[in-house]
Amino acid sequence: MASINYAFKEISCKIVFYGPGLSGKTTNLQYVHLKIPAKSRGELISLATDQDRTLYFDFLPLDIGKIHGFSTKFQLYTVPGQVYYNATRKLVLRGVDGLVFVADSQKSKMDENVESLQNLADNLGEYGYSREKIPLVFQYNKRDLSLLNSVEELQQALNPKGYPHFESVATKGVGVFDTLKCISKLVLDQAKRKELFPDRKMEVVEADKISPERTPSPVATAGQATEAAILSPADAPTPTAQTTVVEEETVPVAEKRTTPREVAQENEPEVGLKVEEVPQKEGDPMVQPPRQESPTVISWSAGKSGKRAKGRGFFLWRLLNKLLNR
Amino acid sequence: MKQEDLVIYEEQIEKIEGALKRLIKDAQAKCVLLVDKDGHLITRQGFTQSLDTTALAALLAGSFASTREIARLVGEPEFSVLFHQGKKDHIHITLVGERTILAVIFDDRTTIGMVRLYAKETSEDLERILSLAHREEAMAKPEGKTDRGSEFSTSLESRLDDIFSEQP
Repeated sequence: MASINYAFKEISCKIVFYGPGLSGKTTNLQYVHLKIPAKSRGELISLATDQDRTLYFDFLPLDIGKIHGFSTKFQLYTVPGQVYYNATRKLVLRGVDGLVFVADSQKSKMDENVESLQNLADNLGEYGYSREKIPLVFQYNKRDLSLLNSVEELQQALNPKGYPHFESVATKGVGVFDTLKCISKLVLDQAKRKELFPDRKMEVVEADKISPERTPSPVATAGQATEAAILSPADAPTPTAQTTVVEEETVPVAEKRTTPREVAQENEPEVGLKVEEVPQKEGDPMVQPPRQESPTVISWSAGKSGKRAKGRGFFLWRLLNKLLNR
Repeated sequence: MKQEDLVIYEEQIEKIEGALKRLIKDAQAKCVLLVDKDGHLITRQGFTQSLDTTALAALLAGSFASTREIARLVGEPEFSVLFHQGKKDHIHITLVGERTILAVIFDDRTTIGMVRLYAKETSEDLERILSLAHREEAMAKPEGKTDRGSEFSTSLESRLDDIFSEQP
């Protein structure tokens, strides 16, 4: 989770590049390290094997400078992509504030992409993190190779919920900064909502709930235009981002409340309770089976969900007792 | 999510730095770093000018995380102390509460025993300072929370544009 230091007026956020082996996660960081001026970044640290495969993580600190009085820092991490290193991969996810899923666009790699995405969901689940609360951006890498899956196929298989996505050629830098800018903005928006402005009422809704006229324009088109100028115009990626954060959005609540206490909790905007209506979609690898049981998910915390179940049980138990006493 | 963001307030940092300064003096250490388990540096004291403390914090947290996994595999809940011995400099790492790590870098002017003793004491002090009661007390103060959202968004957009526009 983000570290917010009011004494030093400093925010530090952790962004993790996830994805299957050899999809280009480290290459993303290497390109960022190469292009960002030395005053705004630290050294790129790679804990790699002798064959230059990531063993534990790559780490690149970025100093964005002051944003509205707060010195803002990002820590970019990659995970080891190979299936074998799941133990270390899971450790890197600890305290993650934002995720970039780097998928390999080649047809032959589709199964590995799906498996890695499922592994991400599993590992987040093991930490008790709610997938819906962590900003996520997809990057479809290696768009310059032949025998590729189309973006539509990749979207259908990996991103049916329509998180922001970018096409990229990480070795040439195409799409790298667009991805980074998008995830940075989502992460800081979230940090701001949670800690800097706790009295601000905001809701996160699904992308498909945003009406077309309210959908913000794609992020980082300026960066893409510059990249297109560096490469050939034909290589310019199409801006495809859809921002999923909407301010002051009200979301219908379909589920019936059972106790007054829960209703009271619902009515307190300061505590940051988010109600998200998640339409059931088959084949979405990010949604874990237990969460598909109900079409409405109340995003609160594990503890509160527990109390909710306990509350219902208690109510039924009292009802049963009353009947038996009669 | 299970854990909240780690938020440090001015009142806490003064106390933390006081405790770290005392540790350096008592244990005759070169420098100390307080790092959260996610790899963010909270604060540092002593001779840290020549050190890349950001990278050090990330690696210390990584090292601690992997050691914790090793502990779990051998049936221990957690190894609460780690010690790396070098030729000149050594590092002693202690767990502070649930979320933070205290790293003491020292050389042969002192001994591991001294460092261990005072690091344990400081760790207990820091745990108290970082505890929820102190946090809530500090949160009651309005300072630092007066910024408004719209200005933040504009400022954020322009900074990100500057820094992430394609460099020549």
